[in-house]
Amino acid sequence: MSQDEAPVALDIEQLSVVFDTPDGPLSAVNDFALEIRRGECVGVVGESGAGKSQSFLAVMGLLAANARVSGQARLGTEPLIGRSIAELNQFRGVKLSMIFQDPMTSLTPHMTVGEQIAESIIHHLKISADAARARALALLEQVQVTDAPRRLDQYPHELSGGMRQRVMIAIALACDPEVLIADEPTTALDVTIQAQILALLAKLKRERGMAMALITHDLGVVAGIADRVAVMYAGRVVELGTVHEVLKAPKHPYTAALLASMPRIDDTGTGPLPAIGGQPPNPRRLPPGCAFGPRCERVDETCRAARPALTGHERRVACHHPLERP
Amino acid sequence: MLSYALRRIAGVIPTLFIIITLSFFVIRIAPGGPFDDEQTLPPEIKANLEAAYGLDKPLLEQYGRYLAGLVQGDFGPSFKFKDFSVTELIAQGLPVSLMLGLSAVLLALLVGIPLGTLAALRQNSPTDYGIMSVAVLGIALPGFVTGPLFALVFGLHLRWFPVAGWEAGELRYLVLPVVTLALPVIAYIARLTRGSLLEVLRTNHVRTARAKGLPERRVILKHALRPALLPVVSYLGPATAFVITGSLVVETVFGLPGSGRYLVQGAINRDYTLVMGMIVVYGSLTLTLNLIADLLYGWLDPRVRYD
Ligand SMILES: Nc1ncnc2c1ncn2[C@@H]1O[C@H](COP(=O)(O)OP(=O)(O)OP(=O)(O)O)[C@@H](O)[C@H]1O
Ligand SMILES: [Mg+2]
Repeated sequence: MSQDEAPVALDIEQLSVVFDTPDGPLSAVNDFALEIRRGECVGVVGESGAGKSQSFLAVMGLLAANARVSGQARLGTEPLIGRSIAELNQFRGVKLSMIFQDPMTSLTPHMTVGEQIAESIIHHLKISADAARARALALLEQVQVTDAPRRLDQYPHELSGGMRQRVMIAIALACDPEVLIADEPTTALDVTIQAQILALLAKLKRERGMAMALITHDLGVVAGIADRVAVMYAGRVVELGTVHEVLKAPKHPYTAALLASMPRIDDTGTGPLPAIGGQPPNPRRLPPGCAFGPRCERVDETCRAARPALTGHERRVACHHPLERP
Repeated sequence: MLSYALRRIAGVIPTLFIIITLSFFVIRIAPGGPFDDEQTLPPEIKANLEAAYGLDKPLLEQYGRYLAGLVQGDFGPSFKFKDFSVTELIAQGLPVSLMLGLSAVLLALLVGIPLGTLAALRQNSPTDYGIMSVAVLGIALPGFVTGPLFALVFGLHLRWFPVAGWEAGELRYLVLPVVTLALPVIAYIARLTRGSLLEVLRTNHVRTARAKGLPERRVILKHALRPALLPVVSYLGPATAFVITGSLVVETVFGLPGSGRYLVQGAINRDYTLVMGMIVVYGSLTLTLNLIADLLYGWLDPRVRYD
């Protein structure tokens, strides 16, 4: 695969995020590690609360004030963790961009769409307001916003959710980033719009050769556009591999359960989807062994005693009793 | 925006009408009349006086005449200051009161917002604690305490400003009264601004602005401050009411010839026309400031223009 030869655009190692809360520390991300190469899209999947968003907010330097971060993240060769806001601002919005989970609230209500797109172009690329506006218009057209010239002067509340998410994408792409983090870019939208936005992201990634992290809890989305997939559980990566391998032959019982709970287009049965049994783990009281243990059918003493390490090279899994190929 | 403004302006007139009507009848229902305490007055003379001022007519007719006068800008004669019309009395006192009140509101905004912003940006630092402790004091201390205190310290002791009194055109006479009047409002606005800015700084759109790599200064001034000021703008209406009542005290403490005393004296004397005149003027003032607040709100948050 040519992607293996492409240089690493974003390299995350041993990233941990702990929140100080009134009820004591809450560890949201533990030893998160992932590399994303140029032109590659890595899907990051997991249940709600698995730590997907916080991992990448940490990379962006956008965590809440009560967060403590440790570990490494490098944009190319530039370290990101522990840098000052002023230093991070040399990368954020230019080389490293993020699209957020909630398009309804992620735009500034009192600024027009045009201003919000042009703003970072003017700031980072030091071009005139007119040139930035022209570029904003071109971006809006590129993300397939209908009636783009008129949209420039509209406020976010005049746009539908799908349109707002396209505007968010336009903002993220404004300065041609090397790395794009898309945090559930389609969850808030209806199914047809979802498909359009995903197709758009896939196209933009191809055309621009960006590295992309696509955060989602929907394996179907990953199947559509990602090259590789990282499965997160309780703040850790528990399985990593190419989309093809992981979806076809999951090794971690949690991945298998996720897949089983996924609706399939070719599914003719009308019975209920098998939900994953048990409760998602409480990040304040993780068991000493495997965090998925309490919900796992294959659990035994080893699993309860020791947490499995993430092993393997290209294809990795953190499980004492991984599933064999069917 | 224009239609929003017009709608708001049109809304003011019925409100003012209701205020006038309610006040008119409430004042008349209150026991006593303008000529009651002049005990030596023989009944015939009292009846003559009442006839002269139209007080013998049915209440509804009096109300009708009053409205007719108002429309022409005539507040009627004062019952107690017999040589003056209410319009003349108000014209004497109002400029001083207006200057006092508006300067206090303006000062409160100009000082309160930056202080609150600073406290929010330095959250939980000594600066923040300092500003907020002073603010608590400012809100807790009433004008009849701070006023004499300021007069004592800055007037008598340090001799920076006159202790009391008024000379037309001499702004230094206004400094201590304005500061006294503005202090609680400054404190309140600083607290409002701080709290609301801290909240806005945690919202998603501010996170987007930060993700763009904009300098923190721009994030705050351009993306966060405007929505954070919405509660401050909403407070402008109550603040005006507060400043109007506060000015009654402050004008007395500093011996300013404002119009506040007419409201108090008018009410004590049952000087119907004078009290009504003051209510109309202060009512219109409060409504106007509320209107300005509404328009500002519409400017700060484009979403409300389309309700
Ligand atoms: N400021 C904070 N203080 C304390 N805990 C927090 C804070 N922000 C997030 N968390 C916790 O961190 C954990 C991970 O959250 P994260 O947002 O990464 O989840 P996620 O995987 O993105 O889930 P979702 O699919 O719902 O977006 C959650 O348990 C969440 O409650
Ligand atoms: Mg999330």
